[in-house]
Amino acid sequence: MTVLRRRVHAGAVPRRRGGPVAAEARWAWLFLAPTLLGLAILSAGPILATAGISLTKWDLLTPPQWVGLDNYAALVHDKRFLVALRNTGFYTVVSVPLGMVLALGLALALNQGLRGIAWIRTAYFIPVVTSATAVGLVWAWIYAPSGGILNQLIEIFGLPPQKWTSDPFWAMPAIVMMSVWQGLGTSVIIFLAGLQAIPQEYYDAASVDGAGRWSRFRSVTLPLLTPSLFFTGILALISAFQVFDQVYVLARPGKPTEATVTLVYFMYENGFKNFKMGYAAAASWILFLIVAVLTYFYFRSQRRWVHYQ
Amino acid sequence: MRTFRSSRGARLLAAVAMAGLVLAACGGGATPTPVPTAPPASGEPAATPAGGYTGPEVTITYAIWGDPAELKSQQAIVDSFHVANPKITVKVSVSDWEAYWDKVQVGIAGGAAPDVFAMDGPLFPDYQSRDVLLDLKPFIDRDAYDLTQLADQGVADFTTADGGQYGLPRDLSTVVLYYNKAMFDAAGVAYPDDGWDWEKLVEAGKKLTKDVDGDGTVDQWGFYTETTDMENFWLSAVWQNGGDVMAPDGQTTVLDTPDAAGGIQFLQDLIWKEKVMADPAIFAETGDAFENGKAAMESNGSWLVPTHTAAGFDFGIAPLPKGSAGRFTSVNPTGAVVYQGTKAPDAAWEFVKYLASPAAQEQLMQLHASIPVSKEVLAGPYATSFEGAQVFADSLAYAKLKPSFVGYNEFTTLLQGELDVNVFNAPNKTAAQSLADIVPELNAMLAAR
Repeated sequence: MTVLRRRVHAGAVPRRRGGPVAAEARWAWLFLAPTLLGLAILSAGPILATAGISLTKWDLLTPPQWVGLDNYAALVHDKRFLVALRNTGFYTVVSVPLGMVLALGLALALNQGLRGIAWIRTAYFIPVVTSATAVGLVWAWIYAPSGGILNQLIEIFGLPPQKWTSDPFWAMPAIVMMSVWQGLGTSVIIFLAGLQAIPQEYYDAASVDGAGRWSRFRSVTLPLLTPSLFFTGILALISAFQVFDQVYVLARPGKPTEATVTLVYFMYENGFKNFKMGYAAAASWILFLIVAVLTYFYFRSQRRWVHYQ
Repeated sequence: MRTFRSSRGARLLAAVAMAGLVLAACGGGATPTPVPTAPPASGEPAATPAGGYTGPEVTITYAIWGDPAELKSQQAIVDSFHVANPKITVKVSVSDWEAYWDKVQVGIAGGAAPDVFAMDGPLFPDYQSRDVLLDLKPFIDRDAYDLTQLADQGVADFTTADGGQYGLPRDLSTVVLYYNKAMFDAAGVAYPDDGWDWEKLVEAGKKLTKDVDGDGTVDQWGFYTETTDMENFWLSAVWQNGGDVMAPDGQTTVLDTPDAAGGIQFLQDLIWKEKVMADPAIFAETGDAFENGKAAMESNGSWLVPTHTAAGFDFGIAPLPKGSAGRFTSVNPTGAVVYQGTKAPDAAWEFVKYLASPAAQEQLMQLHASIPVSKEVLAGPYATSFEGAQVFADSLAYAKLKPSFVGYNEFTTLLQGELDVNVFNAPNKTAAQSLADIVPELNAMLAAR
C-alpha cells in the first residue's frame, strides 16, 4: 500500500501544494474542527477564565475584587476542603483499581463465542449511558436501610442491616460501589477491543511451548493488553477526581456530609450556594494541578509497563 | 429552605447549570461587571397616577421555583394580571428548588436576570446586600401603597434596617402538627389540640408507636419530621424551649446556650430516647412517613397540605405543642423581588403589587399550599378554604421569622452536617456537645462574611 502510494507520488504527481497529502490534511482538519472548536470555545476559554476568577473574590452578583492568592491560602486551612480532598482521594484509590480489575475479569468472560454474546455485552454497557440520576435512584433502593435489597441479602448470611448511605463509615464505599458498577461498561468495551486485537497465533505458539491457561494469560494476554489498561486507567483516574453526580444523587439524608463531600461538590457548594465563585475557582485549579501531576507521572510510568505490539 | 421539595430527579440540572456558569464566566470574564447598570430612570418612578400602569407595552419575565401545580397556579394569576393590565405581558419560568438559585445567579452574572423573581426569606439578605434588588420604597410612597394590608412578618422579612423595602411577600409558610385521625382513634388517644405541650406529645407518641402486624418490629411511629432543615421542626423547638439561633444583632449564633440546645435535644430524644420517631435514615428513601401511613403525627410546613390530601386518608391539623417557654412556630415568607437592572421597573412593580393583592391571593390560596399574605384574604375566605386552614391563619400570631442573614446557606451546611451525623442520624453526641463543637466554627464563618 505504502509502496504503491509512493510510486504514484513519484510518477504522475510530483510534490506540489494541494496534492493528495495536503488534501488529506485539509479533510483531517475539517473532521477535527467540531471538536477543536468546541474545546477552544467551550473549554479553553472557561479554563483560562477560572484562572483569573480564582484570584478574585466573586459572588457572581457583584463585580469581582482582586485578592491575589488569598483564596489558595484560605483553602489550605479550610477543614471542609481538606475533608473533600481526603474523600476524593479515597474514592479514587478504591474505585480506579477495583473498576479495572472487575472490568478486566468481565471482559475476559465476555470475550467468548457464546450465543447472544452481543446482547450480554450491550447489557453491561447500558449503565454507562443511563443518567446518573436514574442510576442513583435505583441504588438508593438497593441501599435502603429498611427493606433494601442489599440489607436483605446480607441478612441471609446473618449480618445486621446497615445504613449504607447515611452511616459515615459506609457512605463513601456505597458511592464507590455504585460508580464502579455504572462505569464498568466503558472499560469492558475497551478491554474487549484490546483482547480481540491479540492475534490467535501468539496463543497457539504459547500453547505449543506448553503454556497453560494461566501462563497464557500472564505472558500473552496481560502484556498485550497493557495499552488498553493504560488508556482505561487514565480515563478512570481523571473521572474519579471529578466525581460529582454520584455524590449528588446518593448522599442521604439531605446533603453530602463530611463523609461524602468531594472536591467537585465542594466547588459546586461554594460557587453556587455560598456565593464564593472565586474560592470555588481556586479549588478547581488545585484539582487541576493534582490531576495534571498524577497524569504526568502516569504517562512517565508508561515505558516501564506498557507494551505496544 | 425547601430543598426537600425539589425532586432528586432534577438535581442533575444543577450540574448542567454549572457548565452554564462556566460559559457565563467566559463571556463576562473580560469585563468583570456582571451587574448591568440600571437606566437612570429606574429606581426613580416615572410620574404615573397612583395605581395602574400607563407606560409603553412591555414584556417582563417572572422566575419561580415550584412544581407543576404551582406553575399552573402562578400562570393563572399571571393571566388575570394581563387582563387587568393588557399592556404588560409576563412570562413565567419555573425551575426546581436547586436549579432555581443557580439560574438566578448565573442569570444576574450573565446579564439575563428575570425582572421579577421569587425570593426565599432566609436567602434575601444574601441578594439584597449585593445590590441586585430594586428598592420598592419609592414606588410604595408614590402609590401610597398600604403595607399594613399585608401580613406583618411577610413585610418585615424584606425590609432593611435603613427603611428600604426590597420586595413584597407573596405567600407564607408556617409549621404545624399534622395527625392521622384513624391512628389516633385506633389507639384511643384524643386528637392534639392547643392545650398540648412536649410531655403530651411524647405521651401520645408512645401510645401511637407500635408493632401493628406483630412481626416484632415497630411499623407505626408516633411522630415524624424532617431533621435535615431547621424549619420542619427543630427551629420551633428551640424557640419553644426559650432559645434562639442568632443573637439579636444577627452577628453570632447563640445555639450553644442550654435553652437552644434543649430544643435540639428534644428532637434527638424523640428519636433515640423516647423512640417515638424512626431513625431518619429509615425514611430517607421512602419519603414522608406520615404521608405513607407509617407515622401518626408529623411536624411540618403548610406546603404539605396538597400532597397529604392527595394521599387519601383523613388527617387533622393542630398547632405545634408548647414548650417550657410557650408556643412558637416558624414562618417563612416567599417574596417577589425586582431585579435592580430591570428595564421595566414600573411594570415589574405593578406585577409585584398584583401578586400580593386580594385577587391574586385568593387564586393562590386554592392550592392550599401556603398561607396568604393579604390580611383581607387571611381573615376572610382563607380560614374556611379547607379543614385546618384556621390553624394556619392563627399560627401567625405566635410565629417567628425563620432566621435570615448573609451566609445562611454556608451556615446551615456546616450546622446540619454536624447535627445530622452526630445528633439525629445517630446519637453520637448530645445536642449540647455537638453544638459546643460546631458553634465556634459557625461563629468564625459568620465573622468572616
